[in-house]
Amino acid sequence: MNNVIYEATIGLEIHVETKSNSKMFSSAPNVYGKKPNTSVLPIDLGMPGTLPTVNKKAVENAIKLSNALHMEIDHTLYFDRKNYFYSDLPKGYQITQNERPIGKNGYLLVKLDGKEVRVDIERLHMEEDTCKQLHYTDFTLLDYNRAGVPLCEIVTLPCIHDAKVARLYVEKIREICVYLDVSDGKMEEGSLRCDVNISIAPKGSEQFGTKVEIKNLNSTANVEKAIAYEIERQKSLIENGEKVRQETRRFDESKMETVLMRVKTDAVDYKYFSEPNILPISLSDKFIEDTISSSYELADVKFERYTQEFKVSEYDALTLLKNRSLALLFDETVETCSYYDLLIHFINGDVLTYVSGMNAIFNLSAKHLGELINLVGEKKISNAQARDIFKQIVKSDESPIDIVKKNDISQISDEATLLTLINRLLDENPTAIQDFKNGKGRAASFLVGQIMKETKGKANPALASKLLNEELKKR
Amino acid sequence: MKEELDLKTIKDAAHRLLFDMSEEEFLTLQSEFKVTLKQMKVLGEIEGIDEVAPMTFPIETKITYLREDVAEEPLSNEEVLSNVKEKQSGQIKLPKVVL
Amino acid sequence: MSYLDLDILSIHKALLEGKTKPSLLCKEALERVKKDTNNAFELVNEEEALRLALKLDEEEVPFDNVFYGIPYVLKDNYSTKGIKTTASSNILNDFVPLYDASVYKLLKEAKAVMVAKASMDELAMGGTGTTSHIGTTYNPYDPKHERMIGGSSSGSAASVSASIVPFAIGSDTGDSVRKPASYAGLVGFKPTWGLISRYGLFSYAPSLDTVAYFTRGVDDARLLLNLLVKHDLNDATSLDVTLEDDESKDEAKNITLLVFKDLDVNLKDEVTKNVYHNLLCKLKEQGITIKEVTFGHDLLAAIYPTYNVISFAEATSNNANLDGVKFGPRPEGKTYQEVMMNARTEGFSNLIKRRFVIGSYVLYKENQKTLFLRAKKVRRKIVERLNELLADADGFISLAAPSIAPKFFEATDKLSDAYVINDNYLAIANFSGGPSITLPIGLKDKMPFAVNVTAKTFDDLKLLRIAKVIEKTTGMKGLSYPEVNKYE
Repeated sequence: MNNVIYEATIGLEIHVETKSNSKMFSSAPNVYGKKPNTSVLPIDLGMPGTLPTVNKKAVENAIKLSNALHMEIDHTLYFDRKNYFYSDLPKGYQITQNERPIGKNGYLLVKLDGKEVRVDIERLHMEEDTCKQLHYTDFTLLDYNRAGVPLCEIVTLPCIHDAKVARLYVEKIREICVYLDVSDGKMEEGSLRCDVNISIAPKGSEQFGTKVEIKNLNSTANVEKAIAYEIERQKSLIENGEKVRQETRRFDESKMETVLMRVKTDAVDYKYFSEPNILPISLSDKFIEDTISSSYELADVKFERYTQEFKVSEYDALTLLKNRSLALLFDETVETCSYYDLLIHFINGDVLTYVSGMNAIFNLSAKHLGELINLVGEKKISNAQARDIFKQIVKSDESPIDIVKKNDISQISDEATLLTLINRLLDENPTAIQDFKNGKGRAASFLVGQIMKETKGKANPALASKLLNEELKKR
Repeated sequence: MKEELDLKTIKDAAHRLLFDMSEEEFLTLQSEFKVTLKQMKVLGEIEGIDEVAPMTFPIETKITYLREDVAEEPLSNEEVLSNVKEKQSGQIKLPKVVL
Repeated sequence: MSYLDLDILSIHKALLEGKTKPSLLCKEALERVKKDTNNAFELVNEEEALRLALKLDEEEVPFDNVFYGIPYVLKDNYSTKGIKTTASSNILNDFVPLYDASVYKLLKEAKAVMVAKASMDELAMGGTGTTSHIGTTYNPYDPKHERMIGGSSSGSAASVSASIVPFAIGSDTGDSVRKPASYAGLVGFKPTWGLISRYGLFSYAPSLDTVAYFTRGVDDARLLLNLLVKHDLNDATSLDVTLEDDESKDEAKNITLLVFKDLDVNLKDEVTKNVYHNLLCKLKEQGITIKEVTFGHDLLAAIYPTYNVISFAEATSNNANLDGVKFGPRPEGKTYQEVMMNARTEGFSNLIKRRFVIGSYVLYKENQKTLFLRAKKVRRKIVERLNELLADADGFISLAAPSIAPKFFEATDKLSDAYVINDNYLAIANFSGGPSITLPIGLKDKMPFAVNVTAKTFDDLKLLRIAKVIEKTTGMKGLSYPEVNKYE
């Protein structure tokens, strides 16, 4: 019994709230975090006589996503009704695409330990979100601002066998959403929601085990943890001769385990049928092509460009790509600055620190950043000076070149000038030379400090310290 | 296809739609079902009916219109709640929904 | 005589000539609404109608807008902002909509004056005029209140028939305007599906629902068509079409009307049948070709069950929004399910519930193939057959109903062809989406009866031209309940 090797089969359903000004079938504003029930039109309340109209932007977002997921895109839009009663469902049905999803038969490649793993994606369809429920001890309050917000549901085949791959897949989907700017992909705010279907069976078995659903995972880390836990839970059930029940569970973060929500009895019959209020909508080839060609560049494409064209390290490229707005800043800055390594290090270092500290969008022009890095690259200013200037340019729109001129900031990189100064300082500080000879590292830093003091910080620190070491060894 | 439905099935169908009826009404419905199901069975005998594509719209045309993504002025919170009987803090109130 | 007994064009003329004023028409219509003995109204729009009419008095009557100041009645399943709308169902008691239906908006813009909202069969489901939450609507032609007016647009029909207003808006999913028009001696016109926006019309079965209306003559039906046909971006089934009719008006030549032998064979009432046959002869004399063809008995008999399955299925879904949470009466309940269950149990009448259950059952996954999808396939079969026959013709004609309005407790053999086919065939125009018109051709026992002509989609203008020929032939234009004097 213990020799049986089990294999998990995992399928993921991801709901992405896509960005737009108005809702999926309603002209009400699509906004997050507004006062309850202030972004609502009659259709969002399911009022009689209201009719759905399809939002162009939502369709464009779905096309962009489908394209990024290598899917076939349907040139005609069809919608269906999914009928069920629930407290958060205003119309008693949800408009979705059951028969003809806009995207089908796609895939994504994720990298696990340097190897590429393929995740097959069955379908991507558009639908509308439900209203938001706030649960209190004795009652529930309903906020319809979210009702009707555009969603794309992305469904994989049951083709994943590893918790890590599942996590990487969700991360990749999120990255694609963010890079295409179709969604902010925030799992913690619910704009990207992930449900997991998971079963285990002896490896090589033709049959799937009983499927358990895990709902509402709020981070990619929890996706991995929940699956890992669930695999173990199901294994031990089977090994103890028990049966895995068909049920819905959720992940309890504090206990780090999945807990039962409800046992599934008969599967709900959603009584799907074609939405009779929306005629089929024909999408022209041109519309689809234009939408695709207007898509923003994906992180993977940027990665290739950064490492191939700009020869930056993979590590630096990956670090930069974790933050799309910084990657966009980099892209804009390289128009005027070709010190790619300096630039990417500066963005991954100082700029990132600054942005994280601000926790907000900042006001930095790529032109000024380019000037700044060019000054460093041309050895006209030091890194330390650049850092100081950076702090100024994010607060004002002064150009680094002007700041350098105004404050007489420059860098002494002339060897002869520095050598004269070094030898004078050595002559004046015999004790320091002695300390250096005795192996006291502090002596060298003391002398560098003296050089900086004498030059009012203008000495090129790297060059100065190199020359100092050489001169010390000569004495 | 069943030609006659038992009351249990019919009652379950009503309850799934979230309403109830009197016993007498269920019996009436049972006889209505009998007629409908019989008629539908007859329709299944129309020659080649299974090969016909289902017709959803009377006018089988495609439209090309997609709504421009422009938000309209939403209803005020008062309007949203104007037909609501149970409300609190600008929201609709329900007995606690058990997850 | 009152101007309200006339048709739209005549009232417009009187307004232009200064013989009456919008406010006078409005006051008189409101008087008549209040004296209504047929239980035709859900709500009297007194204040707003008067306010509007008085404002209209101040301006000159425009010669190019025949609807200026004309009072009318709107079926209570059209959304009217700030005006209670219940679709005659308890589940919508006290419901006040937050927006205007497109049809209502267009009529408002044309300065027509809505004096009342008409009672109807609950949620537009039903053809008897007996299922409104305010009770049965009666037929003005039958002061003894023994005979139906039909439905579901019962109050709309009664209000025109009783000379309260010259036109009324209804809605037609199976025959909900064209059948009551037959019983109430009116022109009942259902234009091609998709021409008039359904935005704001409470959905019964969207793939069949059509904005339709009652007038006292064919010319008025045409005026309303001109006003209401408008592409509406709020309705994703609204079509951008310009209607055309290349023939000159009132021209009977080159018109071919079909008579379905297997439809007419079931007509048993000798009086109505004779008038109908006489009409056919007269039409022939005027140059209209009447061609007898066989439609196919089985397909004719299939219309009724097919209609039931499709319309009930769509209806069960469309009305799932009615749960007492967002609007409508909110009963007590310990859980949200209980709240919804109580709201729906108390809010819907039994007929509605039974239809919902059938509609839901046919949508079950295991039943779709043999029930719902089968009905949709049969629908295509029927439409294909109709189009095949109409390929060489301009329309088909028959009596709109087997006879005059039936009595409430008259026993009908619900399995007879006369019932299954002739009492239900009008839904064929909802299947095909084509225009269909009912107009009176005679009286029996002082009760009106009518023919119906149904044409190809988008042939609305041609159909009205044909109807005009019939109207001239019968001389029954402007028919309304003869005892209008009692209002004076």
